[in-house]
Amino acid sequence: MAMTKFLLISGDEVKDQVVREVFSSDEVITTVDETLVFDTLKVEEPDIVIIDGDLSGLDFKALCRKIKQYPVVILLILGETKHNKDVTHNVNLFIKAPIDKKLLSATVDSALKTRQSLLKMTKSNQELARSLYQLNVMYNTSSQLAGSLDKDKLLRIMIEGLEKSLNFELSCTLTFRSEREPVLIIDSLYKVSDRLLEALKLRAILSYKSLLEDPPLDIKIGNLKIEKNIKHNFQEYDFSILRYDNMFAPIMLNDEFFGFTEIYREKPFSTEDATVFQTLVQQVILPLKSASLYEELKMTNRKLQKLERLKSEFISIVSHELRTPLTAIKNAMDIILSGKAGAMTENIQKFVTMGKRNSIRLSGIINDLLDISKIEAGKMDFKFELTHIEPVIEYVKNNLAEVANEKGLTIKYTPPEESAEVYADSNRIEQVLTNLVSNAIKFTQAGDIEITSKVVNARELHYDQCFEEDIKKLQGNYLQVCVEDHGIGIERKDLNHVFDKFAQIENSLSRQVGGSGLGLPIARQLMESHNGAIWCDSEINKGSKFYFVIPVANDKSNFNMIKKQLIQKARSNGSTVAIIKIKSTNEVIENLINEENLLNKTYMSNSLVEKEGSLTSLSMVVIDGDKPSAEFLKKKIDTLVEHKKNVYGECDIMYSYEIEGEVHEKDSYSR
Amino acid sequence: MKKILIVDDEQDIVESLKFVLEVSGFVCYTAFNGEDGLRLAKEIMPDLIILDVMMPKINGYKISRLLKYDNKYKDIPIIMVTARSQLEDKAIGEETGVNEYITKPFELDQIVKKVEEYLGKDEGEGAAEGEA
Repeated sequence: MAMTKFLLISGDEVKDQVVREVFSSDEVITTVDETLVFDTLKVEEPDIVIIDGDLSGLDFKALCRKIKQYPVVILLILGETKHNKDVTHNVNLFIKAPIDKKLLSATVDSALKTRQSLLKMTKSNQELARSLYQLNVMYNTSSQLAGSLDKDKLLRIMIEGLEKSLNFELSCTLTFRSEREPVLIIDSLYKVSDRLLEALKLRAILSYKSLLEDPPLDIKIGNLKIEKNIKHNFQEYDFSILRYDNMFAPIMLNDEFFGFTEIYREKPFSTEDATVFQTLVQQVILPLKSASLYEELKMTNRKLQKLERLKSEFISIVSHELRTPLTAIKNAMDIILSGKAGAMTENIQKFVTMGKRNSIRLSGIINDLLDISKIEAGKMDFKFELTHIEPVIEYVKNNLAEVANEKGLTIKYTPPEESAEVYADSNRIEQVLTNLVSNAIKFTQAGDIEITSKVVNARELHYDQCFEEDIKKLQGNYLQVCVEDHGIGIERKDLNHVFDKFAQIENSLSRQVGGSGLGLPIARQLMESHNGAIWCDSEINKGSKFYFVIPVANDKSNFNMIKKQLIQKARSNGSTVAIIKIKSTNEVIENLINEENLLNKTYMSNSLVEKEGSLTSLSMVVIDGDKPSAEFLKKKIDTLVEHKKNVYGECDIMYSYEIEGEVHEKDSYSR
Repeated sequence: MKKILIVDDEQDIVESLKFVLEVSGFVCYTAFNGEDGLRLAKEIMPDLIILDVMMPKINGYKISRLLKYDNKYKDIPIIMVTARSQLEDKAIGEETGVNEYITKPFELDQIVKKVEEYLGKDEGEGAAEGEA
């Protein structure tokens, strides 16, 4: 059995003698000085303190309490001095003087056993606390890791987690900033000497080469970048740190190598430490993988955006290049046909007219191609305004009357008695209508072409099942325009396909008539941009009816149009739109506009102010390259609204906001 | 006779414009790049300028700005002709003081009509052909 250490606090030689006799094979230190007691406790770390109860001039209670802070057993020898009961309460054991040697030996024996189990308990308690702490660190680290897609940040979180849970003196982490840029991150308690740094670099390179059979990058001391994080500058590590206990872990997912990390600690690592180390390093791998995928995605996205831009640039350049010579051809033929260049024979006139007709057709095709690519890229410019559609119909009717007359056809249109304003781009409506009427002329051999217009409710619309998808989303009142012909008609199975791109080219019958085959797809896209719809109905050899509808203007439909435009514009720039709608019953709103700077300055904002009777409402539009989170917007609006209340006192403010058309949260405030 | 300056790097287009305008009784001067255009404008003091946007050396907007901000030339009407039809381009045209904006492809008659709006019909051969 190991030697037991005793500290005897006594001035009595007899007691000293007895104790030394009983524990002759153990070590006994005797003192009478109170201050020496604590020094001895600290330095000698005795197992048992024996206090002589007859020692005079001592506050036993206070002394025992102080001794109790040390892991010792306190044994009191009660002599002639009378003590309060709480003195015996403050000691572990007591025996009465004169000392019975056998009793003393037996008492100490049992006390020692008690102490041993006590110590064990304390130790496991400490271990438990430590494990709990490590677990906590791991939990925190993993939740932090889950919240980031930045490689550097992920590694930082991992290193900090390792530092908190393992208290290392120094850590080396190899990573790649990009494919070609290796970085060694050194986190150290003290400074790192130059030759230690060189050694660490060399060690990292060797580890890298031994980890990978065929290293993709030849890392050399010269191209290895160093990033140092030093905690204290007053001391410096040298080679001695290499003798410390160390742990090493590669950061790899399947075959993909992200780097590795190595930590050094003076105090040897336990098996639990090793588990913590492995777990923490493992935890960073998946987020790292996501981060590199995210980076790739961002890069691809950027490339795609560039391609998209190049595509529209290409189209605009090509169309410019095509149009210019076409204009020159047309001009030349115009001059000949005008007779200003001299007289011409009937045949010359016939063939030059043929040339002119085809150059007009070609320029139509170029315009269609340009339109469709503009719409697809979201780059089509619209000039929406409140307008009546009847003058547009009249204009198209008059414009095409001559072409119709040449075929012996008449275009009929009687404006309705009741009409309504729409929020539309007249030029685009004209384009759609011109296309529909031209088609009607093309496919009709004899008879009239009839145009009608009226206001209808979405529920009263008649359409074939195949247009269900397009039309079922319509709500409220619409202005409907119908172009009816008595031509060859369209088979039912083809009804929906006439709006597909290049549909005509596939259909050999209508191919003879000519055209780009893009007119109807363009018309459909244009109607979509107007929040409307287009469809048709037909009977073979009897004729076709083409309908289109545009929402009748009211505050809601106008606002929806503006919103739609903004979202489209933002998307084509790769930005995100967030719309904040704020309503108030008083004038506070007007002043809210000026508070836009409360929103982050990087946000470009626009304001739309709507008046709904006495209710003033404001919509703020936030456009930015980064998607603002719902929380971010909520916080900003809260600040905005609170600020206004402070300035204007009592007011009712309601707000809702949405990101890219999706309503995220509705909230209302009132006092 | 009224003098018109046509500035466009597309020679064929310049030729046809020149032809119809001369038939209508105007005197036409031509330039095939911005630099010559600007120099000629200052030299001959035309009554009207037909100007293309995309040209080598000095583009149409620049010429228009240089002329419109000079008191000596600011009253010369400018008709801008371009293949571009984007709205933002139109805005630049307005900002630089362009009087008219015609997008390609245009009808020759359209140009003649516009010119006549600014300069009035010529009393010579033009009057014989034109009808109200």
